[in-house]
Amino acid sequence: MNSVDEILDYAIDQEQQAADFYADLAGRAEKAGMKDILLDFAAEEQGHKERLLAVKAGDHELTPEQEILDLKISDYLVEIEAKENISYQDALIVAMKRERAAFQLYSDMAARVPEGHLKEVLEGLAKEEAKHKLFFESEYDERVLQDN
Amino acid sequence: MNLKDLLSPFYVWQRAFEKPYTSIRPIQERPGSAAYRGFHINVSEECIGCGTCHTICQNGAIDMVRAEEFEGRNGDSGLRPRFDYGRCCWCGLCVDICTAGSLRMSNEYTWITSDPTEFHFTAGVEHTTWQENPLGYRRAEGYHLYPPQRIEMQMLAADESVQSFDEVVTGYSEEQARLEADRCIECGICVATCPAHMDVPDYIRSIREGDYEQGLQLMYRTNPFPATCGRICTRRCESVCPVGIQGEPIAIRWLKRFIVDQVAPQDYARILADPCGDSGQRVAIIGAGPGGLSAAYYLRKQGHAVTVFEAQETAGGMLRYGVPSYRLPDADLDKDISYIVSLGVDIQYNTRIGRDLPFEQLLQDYAAVFLSTGLSVPSSMRIHGEDHPRVLSGLQVLADVASGRDPGVGRKVAVIGGGNVAMDASRVSRRFGADVTILYRRRIADMPADDEEIHESQEEGCRIVTQSIPVEIIAADNPQQVSIKWGEAEMVQDPKGGRPRPVLQEDRMHVETYDCIISAIGQGSDLDFLSKEVQDQLAIEWGKFTPGEYQHTQLEKIFVGGDVANRVADAISAIEDGHHAARGIDRFLNPEAYTQPDQKVN
Repeated sequence: MNSVDEILDYAIDQEQQAADFYADLAGRAEKAGMKDILLDFAAEEQGHKERLLAVKAGDHELTPEQEILDLKISDYLVEIEAKENISYQDALIVAMKRERAAFQLYSDMAARVPEGHLKEVLEGLAKEEAKHKLFFESEYDERVLQDN
Repeated sequence: MNLKDLLSPFYVWQRAFEKPYTSIRPIQERPGSAAYRGFHINVSEECIGCGTCHTICQNGAIDMVRAEEFEGRNGDSGLRPRFDYGRCCWCGLCVDICTAGSLRMSNEYTWITSDPTEFHFTAGVEHTTWQENPLGYRRAEGYHLYPPQRIEMQMLAADESVQSFDEVVTGYSEEQARLEADRCIECGICVATCPAHMDVPDYIRSIREGDYEQGLQLMYRTNPFPATCGRICTRRCESVCPVGIQGEPIAIRWLKRFIVDQVAPQDYARILADPCGDSGQRVAIIGAGPGGLSAAYYLRKQGHAVTVFEAQETAGGMLRYGVPSYRLPDADLDKDISYIVSLGVDIQYNTRIGRDLPFEQLLQDYAAVFLSTGLSVPSSMRIHGEDHPRVLSGLQVLADVASGRDPGVGRKVAVIGGGNVAMDASRVSRRFGADVTILYRRRIADMPADDEEIHESQEEGCRIVTQSIPVEIIAADNPQQVSIKWGEAEMVQDPKGGRPRPVLQEDRMHVETYDCIISAIGQGSDLDFLSKEVQDQLAIEWGKFTPGEYQHTQLEKIFVGGDVANRVADAISAIEDGHHAARGIDRFLNPEAYTQPDQKVN
């Protein structure tokens, strides 16, 4: 992946894969109410994809925003396997971990390319993923860590 | 008639163009003195519409009228005082009694108009020229028509309370209760805020009148757990009590407790005289906690046969297994439960629906089913090493103690969490002789535990380490111990708003070793007793039911309530859910008996 378009295509594909992942899990979810939650996650990922499509079409820019808050919640949690009987807490951990992995991937790639448009795009994508991670970590902070 | 008589009416016209002797305004402005009792000023933003000014006015010069912009605010009646200056005698009592301190008087006293009906106005809502007047009568600093401080509740000293599970609060004497009851201004703001809408001013009045039987009757109209709530209620009523704005709120919870403590359990049946007919309808309830038993009580009063299915060996739910006896003695919880059971409520103990009896069986055998199963599953920290045998659950520790078992916490304990379960697990551990450290990821002000519980935990020697985030559990050299790695946190403002969020500082980590770590970071529901088919038809969000009107779900026979169906998760909300569901179930079973909401045709 050397061009901006290739990078964006990859990122768009990753968002679609994430949306498919949650939609598939929603179809198999056994616990009460999990189907709707997972479909919400899928819709969230679909929204990310739409945003990147708009970036690729030139309708939207990945403008480097201010520093994104990193709550570091997912960094110290155990890995969770996404199974049919997944709970709310575990579904959020799966989502946080996925966003964290994507953030790290783009950050690492950005660190390896020279200054220029490509680097800016990779850094922009990393910030996008950091925002997504913050979204799920904030949900976790509010809903799971209610007494903590 | 002579000529003079004929012409005299016209003589007055000769003065028609002269300067008048009277004036539409006073000839000289004479301002009132600096503390003059002139027209009223009300700072409407500070006023909460308690109506005490209206009550104290001896001339009936103050009416409380709706002020739409203030309706719907918590702890605000949405009313504001309207003054009639045809009646006002400018005594200033309304200013002296004003609980919010929002009412005062300007030193203006002239208001000239040709329309006498204009001498009415709603202070602070309708525009007046004197609203911003800095002069006029104010209540003197420190002067109150009622004692601003509450009668202090006697409690065991901390060094004594940690020696046993005896109740920490000793209760009011009759004299103390009457003095405290005397402070109530009977505004009723608390009634709207109480989830069960208990008739607080009237039952407090029963203390002043020494009529405790009437007090008990009033409480049972909306709450069949007064002995319990008199001890552990989250008392939102007190948080909005107007007396608390410039002093301490009325000790509503302790007064409730006082009334119940004056009535012997054997007198309940005579005093309450609850009729329990036979409607021929059978209702099943899952869960004998406050929600389930509240529903059972009101359903029995409506004549329905009630069977409660309880997984544990005794009733009470989280009140029994999650609240230690130093806060709620078993005898007092049993006082409430025994009376409910005495009305003919059948409780099937040790019966877990889904394991001992299929849920579908209940749907088949009963006309309606009320689910109030609570939040019984402790949340997991999901950090590495958490499955260590010396990591205990706060709920399990409390359940062990409630069942008379030693939870085996050891001598040095770390408790993770900031809710009431964490506080109680800490205080219980102190009673077993442990040194206790509470690790909480936010600040004390953010703790969801009751302020009193936090204070008493500290008084009893629990050390609270705020802004500390556990990141890993590590096996200790001694297998009877366990280590925890935790990091310090900085509170950072969330750009999207809400409370500040703790952010781990990875360069400030600590490792400490304890005899056990008690995890109390929250709890969730267990709905596995419902088949997937049933679950798919019910609205469930984040593990909680989202019922419609009268706690009715999307399935015809099923009603839900309590912690598993509300966001608040406290006893009084569960009690109200049960009461509300009972009304809904009665309407569902006898639709023809109702002409309008809550109007039953007898």
